[in-house]
Formats: sequence, structure tokens, C-alpha cells
Amino acid sequence: MDFTRRQFLKLSGAVAATIAVVELGFDDKKARAKSKDFKIAELKPTSTICPYCSVGCGILVYSKDNDVIYSEGDPDHPINEGTLCSKGTTVRQVYTSEKRITKPMYRAPGSNKWKEVDWDWALDKVAQNIKETRDRTFVHKENGVIVNRTDAIAYLGGAALDNEECHLLHKLFRAGLGLTYIEHQARI
Amino acid sequence: MADYIKFVDVTKCDGCRACMVACKNWNDLPAEPEEFTGSIQSHNTLTANTWNVITYDEQVTANGNFEWLFRHKSCHHCGEAFCEKACPETAISHTKFGSVVVDADKCVGCGYCVNNCQFGVIQLATYVDKKGKEYRKAQKCDLCTGRLEEGLRPACVTSCHTNCLVYDDKDKVLAEAEKRLAKIKERFPNANIYNPSGIKGTTTVYLLADKPTVYGLPEDPKVALSQIVWKDYAQPLGKMMLGATTMAVIGAAISTAINKGKGEHEGGQDHE
Repeated sequence: MDFTRRQFLKLSGAVAATIAVVELGFDDKKARAKSKDFKIAELKPTSTICPYCSVGCGILVYSKDNDVIYSEGDPDHPINEGTLCSKGTTVRQVYTSEKRITKPMYRAPGSNKWKEVDWDWALDKVAQNIKETRDRTFVHKENGVIVNRTDAIAYLGGAALDNEECHLLHKLFRAGLGLTYIEHQARI
Repeated sequence: MADYIKFVDVTKCDGCRACMVACKNWNDLPAEPEEFTGSIQSHNTLTANTWNVITYDEQVTANGNFEWLFRHKSCHHCGEAFCEKACPETAISHTKFGSVVVDADKCVGCGYCVNNCQFGVIQLATYVDKKGKEYRKAQKCDLCTGRLEEGLRPACVTSCHTNCLVYDDKDKVLAEAEKRLAKIKERFPNANIYNPSGIKGTTTVYLLADKPTVYGLPEDPKVALSQIVWKDYAQPLGKMMLGATTMAVIGAAISTAINKGKGEHEGGQDHE
């Protein structure tokens, strides 16, 4: 490769200048650490209600494709005003956790193993068991008083249920099926 | 832009740990389950993947009662930072928000910052590259600088439901801190505002319920003079000398080439 003297000088000058800037570190003080890409920049939040306790905090969920990228308290929600507890803050993992169960699981009586089953099968099985148990244990009269109850089935409600849901569940389980053991998760 | 700081009023903390989870959630840090060691404190101390932790210090009060002291332990973002002064690669710097951040591209994982941080904050994380080779990078709280740039508050602050964590105008926050201090003095006689002047103040200011030593904090931290001399004078000078040497060598090469070139035109010698 042939260089003219002028070209060579230009090139050398450029190299020297580059090295001078790099080595002398002229911009060291101003150099800013590159901040990470802002991960929720393009995402639209979906608002939801925390599934855990009865406070019912509002949560914003930032999702992308088929993944949840971030979740935080909804600042516009009147109950929590953007804050959350440690459990509510983990709500992203309800979806992303590897431990999440996505299919109904069945453990047969006496078995020590869970197996995956279909929703239809599971719902039928629950209905059959409720019917069979209720029929077998139903008490119509006790000490001359009509009681119409079964003590063999219990119902456990959750904190995230609202008034109307609780009313309907009571109708179904207490008035409809005759259960007396109706409990709430937060009392155990 | 007004100066903003993160303010931690430990007397308002109820130890819920939402800030810890919020930090992991925003920064996508993996969970680090630890063995139970007899304390309700979840993690013994900060690690490269746990950038804040609530410490639970139990002590007996003057009247024989027990008292539990919580503290949101995280990076203080020192005005004169130990880690920044220790870093030989200039990978650690201050942002315009006063946060001290690590540039992962520049960090070589030497660990000088880890040894020098008086608060035990910065730690090395080990990663494995595509070829299966291990490498290390210093990691710590960056005050959610990415969020600050977008006008949001740090993730831990947004989650805090007792207003123990606040991110707001510095003057306003410090004035309120003084008022709060006067208010709690009766219950916590040793209470103090922890904003060490020896390191030119911090961007995370604490209102502590007891002496700093109770929380394992240095009473009056100060960056060693030798470190300042090394970082601010010796290192730039060294780099300058290296630069000067390089330029001298190149300059010599150029002049030699030019001189050579002069002779070559007539003589037709080989260029080399």
C-alpha cells in the first residue's frame, strides 16, 4: 500500500489525537455510567386488584408479549395510593413463577402422588363427591328439631372475596347444601 | 434542578420488607433464600443480588423493655464515595441525581470497591459468559437512576406504605427531618440524622433511632487521604504520562518516517 507523505501525516495525526483523548481521559469526570434500558418504556400497564388479603390494593401490571415485566402499586388507587406490602409486590410471580400450577391436580385417596387431570373431569369429580358425601351424612332432624345439615363438608373462603360474593357463597353452601363449617382463610 | 434525596425515617419503618421485594422486582434480581439463623431478619447482609435489606436489631431499653430497631439498609450514595475513589477503571461515577452508579462495561470485577466501602454495600456478582467462562461485576443499588431519568421515584420508595422512605426535594426533606427528630427525641434520646459530612453528605439520608454504631454504621466515615491522592492526582497523572509517552513514541515514529521519506525519494529504498 502506497501512502503519500500528506496521507501518512494525516493518519498519524488522527491516531495520535485519538490515543491522546483515550489515554488522557479528558471526559473521565463527565463520563456517566450508561443506565440500563428503561424496561417499561413501551409498555401499557393493566390495572388489577391484589389477590391476597382483604385490603384489596390496586396494582399496575406491565406485560410484554406473554410475560410480566414489572408490577407496582397503582398510584391512582384510593386504598393503597401506589404502595404495596412485600407480598403484594411479589404478585408478578403469580404468573412468572416456575412453581405455578396451571392444570388441576388430583391426588387419589391413599395415594402420595399428584397427577394432572382435565378441568371437566375435576369439576365432575368435585360435584360427585359433594353429592355423595352430602347424601351419606345429611341430618334432617336432631332432637326433634329440623336441622337439614351436613357436618362432613367444610367451606373455606378467601380474603379477596367481596360482600356480594360472600353472600352468594353463603346462599349456596349454608342454605343450599346445608354446610355449617364455613370459614375464612384470614381466621385460621 | 433542585437537589433530591432519598430519606429514610427508620422510626416509621414497620419492617414489612416491601422495599426489598420492590427492588428485586424492578431490577430483575434473583431471589437468594438464606438459612434461618435465629433472627427474623431475612438476609444477613447485602449481596450483589440483594441491594437492600431491612436489618432487625433488638436491644434492651433503659427501663428493661425490648426494642426492635429496623433499618432499610442500602447504598448511601456518598458525596465522596469510597467505591468511586477505589475504582481503578473509573467504572464508578456520580450521576446528576447524586446517585453513585457502576458502569458494567468498564467494571473489571477487581473488587477494590468491595474492600473499600465502609458500609459493606457494594459486592461482586459472578456471571458466566457464552463460552462458560466466569467473570465478575460490582453490583449495588443505583437509586433506580433509570427511573429517576424518567421522572419516577426509586422502586423501594414507591412501595413504602408508612412513608418511611421518601424521595423529595433535599431542603424540604432535611427541614422536615429536623422537625421529626425533635419530635422523637423523647422516645429515642439518641436519635440523630445520619448524613456524614466527612464524606460530603449522602444522597440517602437516615433518621436513626439510636447511635449509628447500634446499626453497625461508622460514626464519622471519611475517605482516606491516600485514596483521594491516588484517585484524583496519581491516577490521572499516570494516565497523562502514559499518554505523553505514547504520543512521544508516535511522534518519534512520524518524524523518523518523514526524515526517512525525504531520503527515500531519491534513493528508492524499501519503505519499512
